Amino acid sequence: MLACRGLVKHYATDKGTVEAVRGIDLDVPMGGYAAIIGRSGSGKSSLMAMIGGLSRPTAGQVRIDGADLWALREPEAATFRNRRIGYVFQFASLLPNLRAVDNVALPARLAGRLGHREAADVAAERLADVGLTDHFDAFPAELSSGEQRRVVIARALMNEPALLLADEPTSDLDEQTEREVMALLRAVSRDRRTTLVLVTHNLALAAEAEQIVHIANGVIVP
Amino acid sequence: MRGFGSTRGLLLMLAVQNLGRRQTRTWLLVAAIALASAVTFAGVVAMASVTASMQVGLSRVGADLMVVNRDALTNITNALLVVEPTDSTVAADAVLRADIHGMAGFSAQRILRTDRSGFGAAGEPVDLIGFDPGTDFTILPWLSERLAGPMRPDDVILGGARDLPLGSKALIFGQSFRVYGKLARTGSGTQERGVFVQVVRFLALAPAIRDRLGSLPHMLEPDRVTGFLIRMGPASTELQARFALLSKIPDIKVIVGSALLTGIRQGLGMLLGGLVLLVVALSISTAMMVALLFSAIMAERRREFGLLKAIGARNGQIVGMALVEAALATAGGAAIGVIFGLLLLRLFERGLVHHLGEMGIPFLWLDGARTCGVAAACVVGAALVGMAGAFLPAWRMGRRDIHDLLGKES
Repeated sequence: MLACRGLVKHYATDKGTVEAVRGIDLDVPMGGYAAIIGRSGSGKSSLMAMIGGLSRPTAGQVRIDGADLWALREPEAATFRNRRIGYVFQFASLLPNLRAVDNVALPARLAGRLGHREAADVAAERLADVGLTDHFDAFPAELSSGEQRRVVIARALMNEPALLLADEPTSDLDEQTEREVMALLRAVSRDRRTTLVLVTHNLALAAEAEQIVHIANGVIVP
Repeated sequence: MRGFGSTRGLLLMLAVQNLGRRQTRTWLLVAAIALASAVTFAGVVAMASVTASMQVGLSRVGADLMVVNRDALTNITNALLVVEPTDSTVAADAVLRADIHGMAGFSAQRILRTDRSGFGAAGEPVDLIGFDPGTDFTILPWLSERLAGPMRPDDVILGGARDLPLGSKALIFGQSFRVYGKLARTGSGTQERGVFVQVVRFLALAPAIRDRLGSLPHMLEPDRVTGFLIRMGPASTELQARFALLSKIPDIKVIVGSALLTGIRQGLGMLLGGLVLLVVALSISTAMMVALLFSAIMAERRREFGLLKAIGARNGQIVGMALVEAALATAGGAAIGVIFGLLLLRLFERGLVHHLGEMGIPFLWLDGARTCGVAAACVVGAALVGMAGAFLPAWRMGRRDIHDLLGKES
């Protein structure tokens, strides 16, 4: 269960303070699928960053399965992100000098949870889950955009997280690939009972979510 | 990621792969560090060798001043290498008490000319010279051959005109000494035929000498010496020192050496000091540029660091990976630089040093252990500079919002 209370995010700029998020309460049940929509600059990415432990809120609280994310100390927060949250960013977020299987294995290797061989075995399973059985040894530059995004999804699932966050994951993909990636995200969320939170400005994609959160000027609007 | 089982191994591998990812930049960086290290290494070794050679070479021309008793006879045509044999003495603490401004150092000597020491052929007069190796600057520079290791109390050094082999035994007033070293020919009769004994051992001969001679010469009294040899520091004149000595110490005579040689010694000393400062300044500026470069490289990779943090890397792991990467590049570059520096020194040896040798001018290379020390210092120093440059931006990135890092384009 994801629970946000009174989330506020201010940014200091040369022109003064920008209030990106102005007091948001949000609940997403375990295994649920929520889409956060809004125009550019509405505050949806800032909200997502606070939910994912990537940006400290100016005020407010984020609870994931009861754990107060922003009350954790840095090492515990790093472990929490590693074990409980998976990310699919809007940019190609693979390390270019690692093979697909090594990119996928990275979260497990960073945590020291699995040895090299075990991590590679699990990573191979994750790649198979996203339909990339034949691309274990491929480097990112050898993969198409859609395949790269599948590798990122496999990596996000590596440690079997409770929460999967996808920030405009298909913004640079063609329509067909976008549909495939979204179907994959939805399928893994459903099959693994993983809570999925999607940020998008694509209303058609959002329409498939169980819960739609519309943000404008940093607040949730009906 | 084959072969890297642990998390540390993973981070090490990532650091190595990051270096390999941008090979042109990495090789340019390594080349720059190698060049700087080569110049620093070769410069420091060559400077230290030149300094040591010059110190020996300039010491061989003798002292700037000699202080003896007013009644002592002196040969003013000799270089001031040893005091002349005389029964007249001065107080052992006279120069120290006089506190002469501008002195770079002084060394007391005691000399006993005797034909009853038992050294050499029967009845042969021998000049026994007691000196302190710790303060000496006119005898040891003339050592042309010696045994391995430091001089021991029961060792003697022979003047260039004497022909006992190294390591052989020599009896002096019935006591056994080992021939430790031999001086080169100096042209100074006293030094060429002298037998040099450490002052402590020289004074310990007093009872034996009293028994053999029937009385104790004054220079064997602990508070008396035959004379002093004095070296002046830069920017001080022997004339001023001479007047100061004469005004502060009664009943002495001050013999002045060659003013020209004193001037050369002082000038070269200052020049070397200036060159050392120049090498130090160049090294510091290079270090600052390398640190700045690493700072920029780290800043450029903020998105990658943000990604690693997002998927669970801790701040310490990020900083550690950045430091390892910087240390690998800079230490590797410095190691290549040291090899290149050795080649430069080889060229130096085949050029200038060879010509100096042909002219009979000795060149003393820095010994192997110290050369290795300089090489190690270059490698460690370069690694520290790289790590210092990488540390601050990596540490700052570790403290920044991950979202902020991810949002910045590389």
